[in-house]
Amino acid sequence: MPIRIFIILSTFCLIAATTAAQAVSKLPETVKVNPSALTGEPMCDPKISPAWREAQEIEGVKIDASPVCSPDNPAWIAAAVKGTNNISMDTLMKTGLSPDAIIKTDDLDGDGDPDRIVIKLEIMELNGKSPDFPGIVPTFDIAPGVQPGAWVFAPKTSGMSTENFESVRANPLLRLPSPVIRVEVGDIVQIVLENTHYLPHSIHLHGVDHPFMHHEHGGQDGVPQTSEVELMPGERRIYQFQARQPGTMFYHCHVQTHTHLAMGLAGMIIVEENRPNNWLQTLNIGGGQVRHPSVAVKEQFDQEYDLHYHAMDKELGEIIQKYNDPRLIARDMNRRYDITDATEDYYTLNGLSFPYTLRESLIVVEPDQKIKLRMLNSGGELIAIHTHGHHATITHYDGVEHNPIAQIMRDVFDMAPAQRLDLKLETVNDGKHSYGEGDWLIHDHREKGITTNGMAEGGSMSSIVYKSYLTENGMPKVSHFGIDLNKYFTKEYYERRLPEWQDLDEWASLGSPGEKSGLDDATQTSAIYTLAGLFIGLFIYWIFSRRGQIEQSTMSAISRFKSPKGSKQ
Amino acid sequence: MIKPITFLIAGIFAISTHAFAQAPQPQAKPNEPEHEHHDHSGHSMSQDSGPAVDHSTMDHSDHDHDHAMDHSAHTEKSTDHGDAHHHHHMDHDHMMDHEGTMVMGENLDKLPSSCKSISEHVEITVRAGRKYARNFPGTAFAFDQQQWTVKPCAKVTWHFVNEDNIRHQFMMHGLPKYLYKYGMFHLEVTGPKTVSGTIIVPGSDDTFLVHCDISHHMEKGMKAQLVVGKGGTDIPSIPGLTPYNRVDTYEAENLPKLSDKEEQSKMVRQITQFTNNNLQTYGMMLIGILIGLLCIPLLRKIPVPKTKEEPPAAPRY
Repeated sequence: MPIRIFIILSTFCLIAATTAAQAVSKLPETVKVNPSALTGEPMCDPKISPAWREAQEIEGVKIDASPVCSPDNPAWIAAAVKGTNNISMDTLMKTGLSPDAIIKTDDLDGDGDPDRIVIKLEIMELNGKSPDFPGIVPTFDIAPGVQPGAWVFAPKTSGMSTENFESVRANPLLRLPSPVIRVEVGDIVQIVLENTHYLPHSIHLHGVDHPFMHHEHGGQDGVPQTSEVELMPGERRIYQFQARQPGTMFYHCHVQTHTHLAMGLAGMIIVEENRPNNWLQTLNIGGGQVRHPSVAVKEQFDQEYDLHYHAMDKELGEIIQKYNDPRLIARDMNRRYDITDATEDYYTLNGLSFPYTLRESLIVVEPDQKIKLRMLNSGGELIAIHTHGHHATITHYDGVEHNPIAQIMRDVFDMAPAQRLDLKLETVNDGKHSYGEGDWLIHDHREKGITTNGMAEGGSMSSIVYKSYLTENGMPKVSHFGIDLNKYFTKEYYERRLPEWQDLDEWASLGSPGEKSGLDDATQTSAIYTLAGLFIGLFIYWIFSRRGQIEQSTMSAISRFKSPKGSKQ
Repeated sequence: MIKPITFLIAGIFAISTHAFAQAPQPQAKPNEPEHEHHDHSGHSMSQDSGPAVDHSTMDHSDHDHDHAMDHSAHTEKSTDHGDAHHHHHMDHDHMMDHEGTMVMGENLDKLPSSCKSISEHVEITVRAGRKYARNFPGTAFAFDQQQWTVKPCAKVTWHFVNEDNIRHQFMMHGLPKYLYKYGMFHLEVTGPKTVSGTIIVPGSDDTFLVHCDISHHMEKGMKAQLVVGKGGTDIPSIPGLTPYNRVDTYEAENLPKLSDKEEQSKMVRQITQFTNNNLQTYGMMLIGILIGLLCIPLLRKIPVPKTKEEPPAAPRY
């Protein structure tokens, strides 16, 4: 009998072994994603007219060239320089701004520029939940297909919040970051906050010389625990100041700051030195290149850029995509969200992440230029901005000039949360200031800073590009190195569905492996177990059918044991 | 009735004579006497009309204050910068003043093809503001009414009263596109202030969406519908009127209650503490006893066969 069992056992082992052996003999084929299966976008936003890139003059305002692929609307710049009250209706209609968005009047010191500045800001939600359809509205992508819930201070607009009634995409004025504000030392500035949002907010003018309270307008430090109550939805508040010191400063909402700031209610505010005929670009919407720099900046620099670094938590932004009821949003934001357990997921430069940073936040330079970079970190952690190919000089910390003799050059600029740095970037090819022309990366050197929700390449990285390395449409010239940036302009890439390295060689050696040919692991395992089960079943049946025989033989065996025992006793 | 007529006249003026500078200004706005609207660039201007702005209906205490401040500027030499203020904009379907008060898609006299004549002329006052959201928990902004009904072919003059200190809109969609650009009629004003505009509704039964398109104002309650005749399909998620397409999930929170506080009075606390602390222990003990009782018959049964089996084993020892 035992021989039979052994035969069955060995057959079973043989079957199992062959199944396993068959699986090992060939690994799965590589599956290559067909580029036409991707929802690709043009690298350059086709909605933006190339004519916007040119140097031009509108309403008597000289606007510098901006060779990047998505430059600011020149009408915005004209309106920001002259004030919406001093431009033609024709230009105003091209901006989408409310006619009272920027009111500039009264040359109080008689130096040829207006000194009473009224800036009206509204608070807009981006990528929030709709009770009508299973999507979000109005949408704003920080990278292809990446739409975190956000709030922004927006210049006061006119008309719809979306591009048009059919579209859910936000009006171009409603965007991250909150606009960069520029005023002059001595200007009587009124920032009028019209709370169009459904939650309470405020403005705190971090670093800007402002009185703690104003006799007409009440408290104005923005802090509900010290100077003023929360500004409720539908209400308006005026923050007035007359700054005595210049510098790169910061404004943000100070209501539930730990969530409201990260949601995007934070922007740069720059106080420029007072000069005659200093018509400032009061708003730099979207940050980046200042196409109408101040007189003082032009005295020393060839170009000026506003670089606003920010970080957002995916889970925080999702609260406004989960609920529509303001009470539930308030509950989750104020009482359930625990920032001490939170992590930042999105790193942005001027409201966008790579590759969109390439569209509008490139620093386009020429050899032997002096460029002023104003940087703000409004994220919750320290960042370390590294300039490839360049060392720049830190001229100002938090808006205050550093002793010129003690100024230092670095290639990594660490910035604490809320910190501002002014840099002097000199494109002198001497091996220190610059290593020569190229397309040099500028990025946060904490490695997560170059990811979007953990997916590289993303985050706040951009480039310092020499004009000789810029294509006609304003993108870095990389194709002659065999580089194709198109894969980043697909939402599938950030959905982690496009293998980064599949196109590095012809046969996609590092592409995605397909399914295993023949039996996969799970099926193989279950087959083995089924066989084993069958075998055990047969064995039990065999025992059962022969129980009489077994009983007999056992009895005889026992008696054989017993008898010697008995004889012994 | 006077207002639409002034409107009409201003409209005709603006279209026919495209550059009449410095037209007479019959009514200076009561609150802003300091404003002077000179047209230096040949732009057409609608003088007192522009959007028909009615300041007189509103509570002004706070309005005066803010606006006087915002525009104090305007009193000063507007020619200083070599470019004057000419805020007023007007073409056949879009009028806007210096504060962004806007009327778009107004229709005073063009009959829809489905109408032979105007059936009725009604004036409807719509109030908008945060305070009207009070009746609808879970919203932030609302109109004072969520539905208006008019006859087919009615001529409707809307007086849109914004009672907040921010911008609101009265935006209607779905109107015939041959009469209304994009099928839209749109009033917009920063409050507290009123703006008026007129439309002629189509001759068939239909329901039109009315909302404020400022980001999340509609989503958070500022939504209504205009029913013409018997109406058409209801618009979803109008507060208090039609069901939401997508409803949030609600759950009760463990919030402090007054009854919690009463329980905390000393006597009660002592008693409840005593019970609370010991209830579980006693409960467990009770369960143990029950189990023990239930097991008695089983325990009894087990030794029986043993006693029977034991005798044969006994001789071994």
